Amino acid sequence: MALPNKVLPGFSAALYCQPTSSPTPLTTAQLSLVASVSPIAVSGNLLPVEAIPAFGQDDAVASFSVAGSRQSDKIPVQAAPTSMTITAAWNPSDANLLLMRGDAASGVIDRTFVISATEGSNIVYYAFNGRVGQFQIDAAPGAEAKCTFTVHPRGNQYGWSNNA
Amino acid sequence: MATQQNVVQYGKAIQYQLSQIVNPVPVYAAFNRNFATQPKFVVWMLRNVHQPVYTGPVQSVKGIDRPIFQISIFTQEIEDGFTISNQILQSLHGYSGLFGGATNGFQISKADVLWLYNSYNNEEKMAQIFLDCTLDIPT
Repeated sequence: MALPNKVLPGFSAALYCQPTSSPTPLTTAQLSLVASVSPIAVSGNLLPVEAIPAFGQDDAVASFSVAGSRQSDKIPVQAAPTSMTITAAWNPSDANLLLMRGDAASGVIDRTFVISATEGSNIVYYAFNGRVGQFQIDAAPGAEAKCTFTVHPRGNQYGWSNNA
Repeated sequence: MATQQNVVQYGKAIQYQLSQIVNPVPVYAAFNRNFATQPKFVVWMLRNVHQPVYTGPVQSVKGIDRPIFQISIFTQEIEDGFTISNQILQSLHGYSGLFGGATNGFQISKADVLWLYNSYNNEEKMAQIFLDCTLDIPT
Protein backbone atom coordinates (compact mmCIF):
# COMPACT_ATOMS: atom_id res chain seq x y z
CA MET A 1 0.00 0.00 0.00
CA ALA A 2 1.44 3.34 -1.06
CA LEU A 3 1.12 6.68 0.67
CA PRO A 4 -1.93 8.63 -0.48
CA ASN A 5 -1.05 10.80 -3.45
CA LYS A 6 -3.83 13.34 -3.07
CA VAL A 7 -4.76 16.42 -1.09
CA LEU A 8 -6.15 15.26 2.27
CA PRO A 9 -9.32 16.83 3.70
CA GLY A 10 -8.97 18.77 6.94
CA PHE A 11 -11.31 16.69 9.10
CA SER A 12 -9.44 13.43 9.10
CA ALA A 13 -6.67 14.19 11.59
CA ALA A 14 -6.83 12.79 15.13
CA LEU A 15 -4.72 13.29 18.26
CA TYR A 16 -3.77 10.41 20.55
CA CYS A 17 -1.87 10.44 23.85
CA GLN A 18 0.14 7.70 25.48
CA PRO A 19 -1.86 6.13 28.35
CA THR A 20 -1.18 5.96 32.12
CA SER A 21 -0.23 8.74 34.52
CA SER A 22 3.51 7.98 34.42
CA PRO A 23 4.27 7.01 30.82
CA THR A 24 7.62 6.09 29.33
CA PRO A 25 7.89 8.24 26.19
CA LEU A 26 9.23 6.73 22.99
CA THR A 27 12.87 7.21 22.10
CA THR A 28 13.77 9.53 19.24
CA ALA A 29 14.33 6.51 16.98
CA GLN A 30 11.01 4.96 17.96
CA LEU A 31 9.13 8.18 17.13
CA SER A 32 9.88 7.53 13.45
CA LEU A 33 9.02 3.83 13.63
CA VAL A 34 5.47 2.93 12.66
CA ALA A 35 5.61 -0.26 14.74
CA SER A 36 6.18 1.85 17.87
CA VAL A 37 3.87 4.74 16.99
CA SER A 38 0.78 2.95 15.67
CA PRO A 39 -0.01 1.10 18.97
CA ILE A 40 -0.55 4.53 20.58
CA ALA A 41 -2.97 5.58 17.82
CA VAL A 42 -5.93 3.51 19.06
CA SER A 43 -9.40 4.78 19.96
CA GLY A 44 -8.85 4.30 23.71
CA ASN A 45 -6.09 6.92 23.60
CA LEU A 46 -8.06 9.40 21.52
CA LEU A 47 -8.34 12.96 22.78
CA PRO A 48 -11.76 14.49 21.92
CA VAL A 49 -10.25 17.37 19.98
CA GLU A 50 -12.50 19.67 17.95
CA ALA A 51 -9.88 20.46 15.31
CA ILE A 52 -6.20 19.62 15.11
CA PRO A 53 -4.12 22.83 15.05
CA ALA A 54 -1.10 23.29 12.84
CA PHE A 55 1.66 20.81 13.64
CA GLY A 56 5.24 20.42 12.50
CA GLN A 57 8.20 22.67 13.07
CA ASP A 58 8.57 26.31 14.03
CA ASP A 59 10.83 28.67 12.15
CA ALA A 60 14.12 29.27 13.88
CA VAL A 61 17.11 31.31 12.84
CA ALA A 62 19.98 32.93 14.65
CA SER A 63 20.50 36.51 13.49
CA PHE A 64 23.94 38.04 13.54
CA SER A 65 24.93 41.65 13.00
CA VAL A 66 28.59 42.52 12.77
CA ALA A 67 29.49 46.12 13.48
CA GLY A 68 30.51 47.83 10.26
CA SER A 69 29.04 45.20 7.95
CA ARG A 70 26.31 46.28 5.53
CA GLN A 71 24.02 43.32 6.04
CA SER A 72 23.24 41.06 8.96
CA ASP A 73 23.31 37.33 8.54
CA LYS A 74 20.53 34.84 9.27
CA ILE A 75 21.89 31.43 10.19
CA PRO A 76 19.19 28.75 9.99
CA VAL A 77 19.26 26.39 12.93
CA GLN A 78 17.21 23.28 13.62
CA ALA A 79 13.75 24.50 14.51
CA ALA A 80 11.74 23.32 17.50
CA PRO A 81 8.50 21.38 17.00
CA THR A 82 5.44 23.59 17.12
CA SER A 83 3.54 24.02 20.37
CA MET A 84 -0.09 23.01 19.92
CA THR A 85 -3.01 24.67 21.66
CA ILE A 86 -5.78 22.08 21.78
CA THR A 87 -9.49 22.79 22.23
CA ALA A 88 -11.55 19.82 23.32
CA ALA A 89 -15.12 19.41 24.54
CA TRP A 90 -14.94 19.19 28.33
CA ASN A 91 -16.09 15.90 29.75
CA PRO A 92 -15.09 15.99 33.44
CA SER A 93 -14.58 12.22 33.57
CA ASP A 94 -12.88 11.66 30.21
CA ALA A 95 -9.85 9.52 31.10
CA ASN A 96 -7.51 11.13 28.58
CA LEU A 97 -8.49 14.70 29.48
CA LEU A 98 -7.80 13.79 33.12
CA LEU A 99 -4.32 12.67 32.04
CA MET A 100 -3.81 16.08 30.41
CA ARG A 101 -4.99 17.79 33.60
CA GLY A 102 -2.55 15.72 35.64
CA ASP A 103 0.31 16.47 33.23
CA ALA A 104 -0.42 20.19 33.47
CA ALA A 105 -0.43 20.00 37.27
CA SER A 106 2.88 18.15 37.28
CA GLY A 107 4.63 20.09 34.54
CA VAL A 108 7.46 17.55 34.21
CA ILE A 109 5.72 14.51 32.71
CA ASP A 110 7.02 13.67 29.25
CA ARG A 111 4.42 11.86 27.18
CA THR A 112 4.34 10.70 23.57
CA PHE A 113 1.57 12.23 21.45
CA VAL A 114 0.61 10.95 18.02
CA ILE A 115 -1.28 12.76 15.28
CA SER A 116 -2.72 10.53 12.58
CA ALA A 117 -3.76 11.95 9.23
CA THR A 118 -6.06 9.39 7.68
CA GLU A 119 -7.21 8.88 4.11
CA GLY A 120 -9.21 5.67 3.89
CA SER A 121 -6.77 2.98 5.05
CA ASN A 122 -3.69 5.15 4.46
CA ILE A 123 -2.37 6.76 7.63
CA VAL A 124 0.47 9.23 8.14
CA TYR A 125 1.72 9.54 11.72
CA TYR A 126 3.45 12.50 13.36
CA ALA A 127 4.74 11.54 16.80
CA PHE A 128 6.41 13.75 19.37
CA ASN A 129 7.18 13.88 23.07
CA GLY A 130 5.76 16.79 24.94
CA ARG A 131 4.61 18.31 28.20
CA VAL A 132 1.23 19.91 28.90
CA GLY A 133 0.63 23.41 30.20
CA GLN A 134 -2.15 25.97 30.47
CA PHE A 135 -5.03 23.61 31.18
CA GLN A 136 -8.20 25.73 31.26
CA ILE A 137 -11.95 25.16 31.37
CA ASP A 138 -14.16 27.63 29.51
CA ALA A 139 -17.82 27.25 30.51
CA ALA A 140 -19.50 29.93 28.39
CA PRO A 141 -23.28 29.59 28.87
CA GLY A 142 -24.22 29.77 25.18
CA ALA A 143 -22.27 26.72 24.06
CA GLU A 144 -20.74 23.50 25.30
CA ALA A 145 -17.95 23.74 27.89
CA LYS A 146 -14.47 23.81 26.38
CA CYS A 147 -11.25 22.41 27.76
CA THR A 148 -8.15 24.13 26.40
CA PHE A 149 -4.55 23.05 26.93
CA THR A 150 -1.20 23.52 25.24
CA VAL A 151 1.22 20.71 24.40
CA HIS A 152 4.83 21.88 24.30
CA PRO A 153 7.03 19.39 22.41
CA ARG A 154 10.51 18.61 23.67
CA GLY A 155 13.32 19.64 21.33
CA ASN A 156 14.47 17.12 18.73
CA GLN A 157 11.96 14.51 19.93
CA TYR A 158 9.63 14.00 17.00
CA GLY A 159 9.33 11.81 13.96
CA TRP A 160 7.22 10.97 10.92
CA SER A 161 6.08 7.52 9.87
CA ASN A 162 3.29 5.90 7.86
CA ASN A 163 1.60 2.57 7.33
CA ALA A 164 2.48 2.34 3.63
CA MET B 1 -16.79 11.47 22.88
CA ALA B 2 -20.49 11.73 22.22
CA THR B 3 -22.55 9.35 20.15
CA GLN B 4 -25.42 10.56 17.99
CA GLN B 5 -28.56 10.99 20.07
CA ASN B 6 -31.93 9.55 19.14
CA VAL B 7 -34.43 12.04 17.71
CA VAL B 8 -37.30 9.67 18.56
CA GLN B 9 -36.57 10.40 22.22
CA TYR B 10 -36.54 14.12 21.48
CA GLY B 11 -40.00 13.91 19.94
CA LYS B 12 -41.49 11.84 22.77
CA ALA B 13 -39.98 14.12 25.41
CA ILE B 14 -41.21 17.33 23.75
CA GLN B 15 -44.72 15.91 23.35
CA TYR B 16 -44.84 14.83 26.99
CA GLN B 17 -43.38 18.01 28.44
CA LEU B 18 -45.62 20.37 26.45
CA SER B 19 -48.70 18.32 27.31
CA GLN B 20 -47.84 18.56 31.01
CA ILE B 21 -47.36 22.33 30.85
CA VAL B 22 -50.53 23.29 28.95
CA ASN B 23 -52.84 20.51 30.20
CA PRO B 24 -55.78 20.18 29.43
CA VAL B 25 -55.11 21.97 26.10
CA PRO B 26 -54.29 19.32 23.44
CA VAL B 27 -50.76 19.16 21.97
CA TYR B 28 -50.00 17.87 18.47
CA ALA B 29 -46.76 17.16 16.60
CA ALA B 30 -47.90 18.80 13.34
CA PHE B 31 -50.67 21.06 12.15
CA ASN B 32 -53.80 19.63 10.68
CA ARG B 33 -56.66 21.81 9.45
CA ASN B 34 -59.16 19.61 11.28
CA PHE B 35 -57.71 20.77 14.56
CA ALA B 36 -58.80 24.28 13.68
CA THR B 37 -62.31 23.40 14.81
CA GLN B 38 -60.99 23.16 18.38
CA PRO B 39 -61.10 26.38 20.46
CA LYS B 40 -57.43 26.11 21.48
CA PHE B 41 -54.54 23.75 20.81
CA VAL B 42 -50.74 23.68 20.67
CA VAL B 43 -48.51 22.35 17.86
CA TRP B 44 -44.77 21.76 17.95
CA MET B 45 -42.16 21.24 15.24
CA LEU B 46 -38.57 20.13 15.84
CA ARG B 47 -35.70 21.56 13.80
CA ASN B 48 -31.94 22.28 13.86
CA VAL B 49 -30.94 18.95 15.40
CA HIS B 50 -27.18 18.98 15.02
CA GLN B 51 -24.21 17.72 16.98
CA PRO B 52 -21.07 19.37 15.58
CA VAL B 53 -18.64 16.89 14.04
CA TYR B 54 -15.08 16.99 15.32
CA THR B 55 -11.90 16.01 13.52
CA GLY B 56 -10.72 12.44 13.15
CA PRO B 57 -11.92 9.13 11.74
CA VAL B 58 -13.82 8.09 14.90
CA GLN B 59 -17.52 8.77 14.27
CA SER B 60 -18.53 9.18 17.92
CA VAL B 61 -16.35 12.27 18.50
CA LYS B 62 -19.10 14.90 18.39
CA GLY B 63 -20.27 17.88 20.40
CA ILE B 64 -23.48 18.51 22.30
CA ASP B 65 -26.84 18.90 20.61
CA ARG B 66 -28.75 22.21 20.73
CA PRO B 67 -31.99 21.48 18.87
CA ILE B 68 -34.82 23.98 18.57
CA PHE B 69 -38.52 23.19 18.62
CA GLN B 70 -41.07 25.72 17.54
CA ILE B 71 -44.25 25.93 19.57
CA SER B 72 -47.32 27.25 17.73
CA ILE B 73 -50.32 28.17 19.84
CA PHE B 74 -53.70 28.42 18.11
CA THR B 75 -56.70 29.87 19.95
CA GLN B 76 -60.06 31.35 19.03
CA GLU B 77 -59.66 33.93 21.82
CA ILE B 78 -56.48 36.03 21.58
CA GLU B 79 -56.17 36.25 25.37
CA ASP B 80 -56.21 32.43 25.67
CA GLY B 81 -53.12 32.31 23.45
CA PHE B 82 -51.28 34.80 25.63
CA THR B 83 -52.27 32.83 28.73
CA ILE B 84 -50.93 29.59 27.25
CA SER B 85 -47.72 31.20 26.07
CA ASN B 86 -47.23 32.65 29.56
CA GLN B 87 -47.66 29.17 31.04
CA ILE B 88 -44.96 27.88 28.69
CA LEU B 89 -42.60 30.78 29.44
CA GLN B 90 -43.02 30.44 33.20
CA SER B 91 -42.48 26.71 33.12
CA LEU B 92 -39.86 26.21 30.40
CA HIS B 93 -37.68 29.32 30.09
CA GLY B 94 -34.45 28.71 31.99
CA TYR B 95 -35.53 25.23 33.06
CA SER B 96 -32.76 22.77 33.91
CA GLY B 97 -33.36 19.14 34.81
CA LEU B 98 -35.39 16.16 33.62
CA PHE B 99 -37.18 16.98 30.38
CA GLY B 100 -39.95 14.75 29.06
CA GLY B 101 -40.96 12.66 32.06
CA ALA B 102 -39.60 9.53 33.68
CA THR B 103 -40.24 7.11 30.80
CA ASN B 104 -38.91 8.91 27.74
CA GLY B 105 -37.25 11.97 29.26
CA PHE B 106 -33.62 12.98 29.53
CA GLN B 107 -31.65 15.58 31.47
CA ILE B 108 -31.20 18.97 29.83
CA SER B 109 -28.73 21.64 30.93
CA LYS B 110 -31.01 24.47 29.93
CA ALA B 111 -34.16 25.32 28.00
CA ASP B 112 -34.23 28.77 26.41
CA VAL B 113 -37.58 30.07 25.14
CA LEU B 114 -37.77 32.87 22.61
CA TRP B 115 -41.25 34.41 22.16
CA LEU B 116 -41.29 35.18 18.42
CA TYR B 117 -44.57 36.94 17.58
CA ASN B 118 -48.35 36.73 17.67
CA SER B 119 -50.61 36.83 14.64
CA TYR B 120 -54.16 36.17 13.45
CA ASN B 121 -55.42 33.93 10.66
CA ASN B 122 -58.68 35.36 9.33
CA GLU B 123 -59.45 32.30 7.22
CA GLU B 124 -59.37 29.93 10.18
CA LYS B 125 -60.54 32.61 12.62
CA MET B 126 -57.71 31.72 14.97
CA ALA B 127 -55.15 33.76 16.86
CA GLN B 128 -51.63 32.40 16.67
CA ILE B 129 -48.54 32.76 18.83
CA PHE B 130 -45.13 31.35 17.92
CA LEU B 131 -42.28 30.53 20.30
CA ASP B 132 -38.88 28.93 19.76
CA CYS B 133 -37.38 26.75 22.49
CA THR B 134 -33.68 25.80 22.36
CA LEU B 135 -32.61 22.76 24.38
CA ASP B 136 -29.02 22.30 25.60
CA ILE B 137 -28.63 18.53 25.84
CA PRO B 138 -25.41 17.20 27.41
CA THR B 139 -24.09 13.94 25.97
